[in-house]
Amino acid sequence: MPEQTNTRSGAPPWGIFPAGSSLLRDLPIVFAGLAVFYGIISFAHYGIGPMNTEAEIQLAPSALPKYALFSVIRIAAAYALSLAFTFVYGYIAAYNKRAEKLMIPLLDTLQSIPVLSFLPGVMVAMVSLFPTRQLGVELGSILLIFTGQVWNMTFSFYSSLKSIPREMREAAKIYHFSWFQRFIQMELPYASIGLIWNSMMSVAGGWFFLMACEMFVLGDRDLRLPGLGSYLQTAANEGNTRAILAGLATMILVIVLMDQLIWRPVIAWSQKFKVEQVEAVETPTSPILDLLRRSHLLSLASSWTTVPAREAFMQHFARMHKERRKAGKHSAVIWYLIGATCAGALAYGVVRMLRMVAGVSWPEWRAIFIGAGATFLRVEFVLLVAALWTVPVGIYIGLRPRLSAIAQPIAQIAASVPATALFPIILLLLIRLGGGLGIGALVLLLLGTQWYILFNVIAGASAIPTDLKEVCQIFKLSKGERWRKLFLPAVFPFLVTGFVTASGGAWNASIVAEYFHFHGETISTVGLGAVISDATNRGNFDMLLAATIVMALMVVTINRLVWRRLYALASTKYKLET
Amino acid sequence: MAMSDHNKVLELISQENWEAAAHAMERLDPSEVADLLQKLPFEQQQNIFGRFQVDFAARVVGHFPYYHQYVLLHSRGPEAMRAIVDKIDADDRMRFFDELPEEAWQHLMDELSGAALPHPQRPQVQPVSKPKLPGPSAVVEPIIEARQVQKFYEQPDGNRIEVIAPTNLTLEPETIIALLGPSGSGKSTLLRMLSGLSSPSSGQVLWHGKPLAETHPNVAIVFQSFALFPWLTVCENVEAPLAALGMAKQEREQRATQALDSVGLKGFENAYPKELSGGMKQRVGFARALAVEPEVLFMDEPFSALDVLTAENLRSELMELWMAKKIPTKSIFLVTHNIEEAVLLADRVIVLGRNPARIRANFRVNIPQPRERSAAEFTVYVDYIYKVMTQPQADIAFPSVPGKPPKTKFQMLPHARPGGIAGLLELLNDRGGREDLYHLADELRMEVDDLLPTVDAAVLLGFATLEAGDMIITPEGQAFGNATISAQKPLFREAALTHVTLLQQMKSALDRKSDHALPLEFFRDVLDEHFSQEEVEQQIETALNWGRYAEIFTYDSEDERLILHDNGLSEKAQTERG
Repeated sequence: MPEQTNTRSGAPPWGIFPAGSSLLRDLPIVFAGLAVFYGIISFAHYGIGPMNTEAEIQLAPSALPKYALFSVIRIAAAYALSLAFTFVYGYIAAYNKRAEKLMIPLLDTLQSIPVLSFLPGVMVAMVSLFPTRQLGVELGSILLIFTGQVWNMTFSFYSSLKSIPREMREAAKIYHFSWFQRFIQMELPYASIGLIWNSMMSVAGGWFFLMACEMFVLGDRDLRLPGLGSYLQTAANEGNTRAILAGLATMILVIVLMDQLIWRPVIAWSQKFKVEQVEAVETPTSPILDLLRRSHLLSLASSWTTVPAREAFMQHFARMHKERRKAGKHSAVIWYLIGATCAGALAYGVVRMLRMVAGVSWPEWRAIFIGAGATFLRVEFVLLVAALWTVPVGIYIGLRPRLSAIAQPIAQIAASVPATALFPIILLLLIRLGGGLGIGALVLLLLGTQWYILFNVIAGASAIPTDLKEVCQIFKLSKGERWRKLFLPAVFPFLVTGFVTASGGAWNASIVAEYFHFHGETISTVGLGAVISDATNRGNFDMLLAATIVMALMVVTINRLVWRRLYALASTKYKLET
Repeated sequence: MAMSDHNKVLELISQENWEAAAHAMERLDPSEVADLLQKLPFEQQQNIFGRFQVDFAARVVGHFPYYHQYVLLHSRGPEAMRAIVDKIDADDRMRFFDELPEEAWQHLMDELSGAALPHPQRPQVQPVSKPKLPGPSAVVEPIIEARQVQKFYEQPDGNRIEVIAPTNLTLEPETIIALLGPSGSGKSTLLRMLSGLSSPSSGQVLWHGKPLAETHPNVAIVFQSFALFPWLTVCENVEAPLAALGMAKQEREQRATQALDSVGLKGFENAYPKELSGGMKQRVGFARALAVEPEVLFMDEPFSALDVLTAENLRSELMELWMAKKIPTKSIFLVTHNIEEAVLLADRVIVLGRNPARIRANFRVNIPQPRERSAAEFTVYVDYIYKVMTQPQADIAFPSVPGKPPKTKFQMLPHARPGGIAGLLELLNDRGGREDLYHLADELRMEVDDLLPTVDAAVLLGFATLEAGDMIITPEGQAFGNATISAQKPLFREAALTHVTLLQQMKSALDRKSDHALPLEFFRDVLDEHFSQEEVEQQIETALNWGRYAEIFTYDSEDERLILHDNGLSEKAQTERG
């Protein structure tokens, strides 16, 4: 990497002006920068404008670029918020033993609460914060997307922090790293790979719930925000197939572009954070990343901005750290106060919640429990069906490296298309064939969750050591025996990982799968998700709260009773140690 | 011819012409000379032996019993004596040292090492507030002083697990101290308390006379796992601690380059650690430590992760830097389990015993640098440490340690496998049933640390005894070592149930239960009161290993339950023995 050494040891003065050929190379970057700038400006202009919650969603294809841009900005803003939350929450949970005991179960519970259940609270708070500006509703929508993507990122960051090798941590301590240096030189790099994968999943989740987050009924108010999600929702409402297809195509295009322009380069770049002893033979690559790395403009910009900034921060915090050490640790009283306040607020919340739930009538409880049973059966059935096809197919693909090299990217694109966007088309087909939302919900859940299982099974099958496969050959094991003795046990841990993610996702997805606005009417089927969606729509907060609690309890219980045990079994008995 | 020589010698002796007699004897066979000498009065023996050439004296002296050798050697001056001991055949020498009583051995060791100090090994166990070291070091103010430091872990039930017994220790300038001990003896814990990484449960660590917590000690650590940041280049890794000190970029780079140059890594500044071999990674570790110019350099098993040749290389380079005073470090504290490494590098060696850790020996190594492994005094030290480490109950060389509380301790199972025990006994059988441990380890190409658990296990099971560094097989051990694989099991079972408290307890508890089954948790609770968390797991693992091998019980890993093995085997064993 000659470029790096070039900037490191001070470039010669004429190096400031990029040579002709490199200016050409830099052109795409310049344009990309300008586009981002324009997007932000136009969104800001719209954001501070007066409130217009009932914006007419235009179904003309010419409106699509603007809507796509707005949706992307919303998701990006929610993602930035998630990242900030992740750092703060994960940091405290990992380093404060007392807080950890409270924060981790809390995170577990929050994760099991479906997005829509946050809607009324978030919206009311935000709209009352900015009563006259569009900003309030916008912030509400962003917060809603945030609640759908933040939890797994936080978990990932927390567990990465907890698993930093002891000696690495000790090196940072013995050499008196300031918290800033520790963060950018140890914690963030160590956590980055897990964080990036989870970010991808989170953003995909953002697309999945986009329709629910951009257009909703809150009591007597019908709120809709200009964006791809509301476009699709409106098109579905009107039964405009052409608009649905146009919206869907735009969404897929945006997702594929984001994958190529953002995630691939980021993943390729993050390879340097892999904690490995030897260099891997094959590493992910990205032409975009190569373009960025070769860019003179960028390296110049960073040598003027980020490099000196980081240096200044490092110096500043190093001085602070020294003084802190001299002054000794400051008192724990503040922390006790903060802790006590949080605990008090939590207790108050629990009391209020219980009083609210007490207002739910018996017939309503009955509906909730019947719905819970129906959704439970639906989710388990979907998982079973998903496993039935993905396990054999995944193993078949995973055992053949060449096939998986072709199949993986295709499956990834297929998986990145949010099932909710496809939903109107599927429903249209189903209704034509005489089916209803009962089957539709199953299809939607299946589309939304099967990929997690498939990817994990493929990963598991491709990780089976060659010598074990050769043993099977030498002993002439029959096909059935091979599957029973090697393939199935070997992919079991991966399968469980896939199931855990898929199960959580399916419960969450039930709120959009069981209740749908279509052709100007509302179709729903029996289920807990439908109960929640309906309660949100009608502004029945008691019912919403009760149903949400039931769902959270069920998800947490299933996790503890089933998945966690299977996980323990998988990580002891079925772990392939190398 | 031989006869005439013989007579001539006798004649010369009768004339008391010692010079000529010695000269004449040198033409005879050494064993014959030994016979001749033995028949003479002691004064005459000394007169003649004192006049032998060094080589010949060395060949003769091996034919005498150890006490005789001892006095004969003392008929020469210290210089000549050292030369003679050097020339004695290595096996004979080892036997000689083994057979010598401690007192005499110690005395001889002093003389051989040309010790200025009358008693090089002075135990530091007396609980005096100011531990005095022998010789000049007592005058020098120590850099680090540990006073009665102790480490224990509080169990949830209030029970305390003592990891390190109250210990006094000093680190003087201009010394390399090696801390030796079997694995799990708390060496690393002690290092972490001395360096300020962790604080003692009770007692105090002083840094230049002030409590460690109130100062900022300038120390560095070289870790076993290198603890480099894989995402930083070699140069950035070395710079990181300097940045933490608030040093400016330019000075940092200069210092880092200098440090890298001194460990021979010039030209690798921009490489990433994963591109380097293990030895080079540890060089980076050294460069990082040396760049901060620490007053005390701590090293935690720095060579253990490297192959033998690389380790040897790095060790000698480090010694070169140290001896030539090319590094500003005043003192080095090395933790190791490798006895030879300790004797090779250290000015002072401290041997730790375990459960809980306490200092069992603390002595100076009075061999000038550079040291040769083949030198006699080198083996003397190595052998001495072997003895201390192989006889955990005995207070070798310090028979007068007063007032050790007679604690009844829970028997601790050495972490050995039945197969390993059988293998060792078989080897011992082949070597005539008695062999020096040093030779055994050497023959097996093992570190003493790896061999010791197996030796301990064999002793615990009554298959062997230890005597002055020799392992001696018992009749039971002989039977076990010679038995076929299937016949070994009942023998092992009998030995285990006779000698191993934990297995006895397990069996009787299982016997008493009507269904002959118990959860493993039950025994874990019993062990919890005696061992640390980590050790409990190891004890359980070993007990399971032995108990299943001996067919005392079976273990259901899914339910984590122990089930009594049906009694068929023990009866079979009875008949086989009868």
